[in-house]
Amino acid sequence: MAALSLLAAVALFPACQRATYVAKPQLAPATAQPVGKDLADDAMAAATIAPYRQRVTEQMAAVLGTAPVAITKNSGESPLANFVADLQRSRASRETGQPIDLGVMTNGGLRSPLPAGSITMGSVFELMPFENELVILEVSGAVVQQLFEYAARVKMPISGATYVASPEGRPTDIRINGQQFNPAQDRMYTIAISDYLAGGGDQLTFFKNSKPRSTGVLLRNAIADHIRELTAAGRPVEAKVDGRVK
Amino acid sequence: MNRRDFIKHTGVGAAGLGILGLGSLPAAAEAKADRLVILHTNDMHSRIEPFPDNAAQWAGMGGMAHRAALIKQIRAQEPHVLLLDSGDIWQGTPYFNFFMGELEYKLMTQMAYDASTLGNHDFDNGLEGLQKQLPHAGFPFLIANYDFSDTILAGKFQPYKVFEKAGHRIGVFGIGIEMAGLVSDKNFGATKYLDPIAVAKDMVAKLRGPEKCDLVICLSHLGYKYESAKLDDFKLAAGAPGIDLILGGHTHTFLPKPDVVAGPNGHQTLINQVGWSGINLGRLDYAFERGTRRPSVAAASVVPVRVA
Repeated sequence: MAALSLLAAVALFPACQRATYVAKPQLAPATAQPVGKDLADDAMAAATIAPYRQRVTEQMAAVLGTAPVAITKNSGESPLANFVADLQRSRASRETGQPIDLGVMTNGGLRSPLPAGSITMGSVFELMPFENELVILEVSGAVVQQLFEYAARVKMPISGATYVASPEGRPTDIRINGQQFNPAQDRMYTIAISDYLAGGGDQLTFFKNSKPRSTGVLLRNAIADHIRELTAAGRPVEAKVDGRVK
Repeated sequence: MNRRDFIKHTGVGAAGLGILGLGSLPAAAEAKADRLVILHTNDMHSRIEPFPDNAAQWAGMGGMAHRAALIKQIRAQEPHVLLLDSGDIWQGTPYFNFFMGELEYKLMTQMAYDASTLGNHDFDNGLEGLQKQLPHAGFPFLIANYDFSDTILAGKFQPYKVFEKAGHRIGVFGIGIEMAGLVSDKNFGATKYLDPIAVAKDMVAKLRGPEKCDLVICLSHLGYKYESAKLDDFKLAAGAPGIDLILGGHTHTFLPKPDVVAGPNGHQTLINQVGWSGINLGRLDYAFERGTRRPSVAAASVVPVRVA
């Protein structure tokens, strides 16, 4: 009845200036309705998805390259850590058209080894399931020193550099691009790294004050592209421990 | 009459409704026929299929075929539905890596989304990537504070759109986050970022004024709340009073119910966000009551909105 009278009231003033209304929200019973398994698949949506799902399955199985031996990770310098940090640095350099001093990836970011034999797109998704982007940091010598102090505690390899980790876990004889590193020198260093680590992830808190420069390249795609390029060049997918951390 | 006099004159505010006797309308009177149901998502991140059953979190949740079924259920019961998204449709599963957003747009079109705004990840394949997929989107992207004039996307987007639903005019506009530093420079090119607060004020004035809207909704990809000075949905609500509802995104915030920001003269802005990956479908119902504002007045700040 009240609704009817409201409608009637509105209808009474058709010639007047347009009636105005107050929008009144009603929040019951739930403003966030879970989309769960209790719901059936909508038939039209399911039919639309099906052919795409099939192509995803096929593409995940597509072979990007071949590794003579598995590319594995372990604590300290490892083939997988070198492989990823190196390709980060070379890809960032290609994207920006300038040399990049260092490439950094922590062991925690590498989720799975690359298997011996056929490396599929699925293998690359397992190695890098995160939607991390390759970014570039530009930092002072003091920050680079902090990076090496972090690295030396776990003997983490850094692409573009060599160093000696002391028994106490301190970095000594740091060389960047073959040159002796002096943290007091007045210059900046570029670092190819994931957006996650650049934001201070994995306790790399000393990077937090630097604003990363985006490349628009997902780390996973950088890895997949690198493997494809090796294959196109007729080369196997290989990575070695080369003694960059002593 | 200046605004202060107007307010005094009409007794607008929470008390205004009581005076007119409309504030006490029983819930049953808010007939379905006149009810607007707003459904919304944010940050769906290419979650075409539900999270796998062995996922550490959200196993079995989400999935666009499930969402389509839920939306269909609601549409079968409700005549007036507005379906909106707050950006970051893209990025997050192999479906995006392999098909570059085509399937997301197709499914949203099938679900009959009314509008979306643009999130930062919707630029992940650059302006070209966005341009390429637009033909698959049968719904408009609303974005008021990005100026694409000097780009290949010039003229492709509108700042706002007015929807006629349940016999009312619903104004919807979009606000995007600053892309510099967040999105690769080359991916947004010459897109200009305009001050969201200034733009939102203009939008409110236009939608409340010449466009005669009864409800003003902002699709925001600014983010829910930051401790820093960075602009968020709360600062937007305070800086551009008169928005009835901000449907947010970017921060993947799960809200059990909307937050309420009190504005001048009893106006309230609701802020809602429903997580990410299509785990939830947001729903807010609106009833329209005969109001007290006069269209000739800058009405944005004098429209009372109360949580039922």
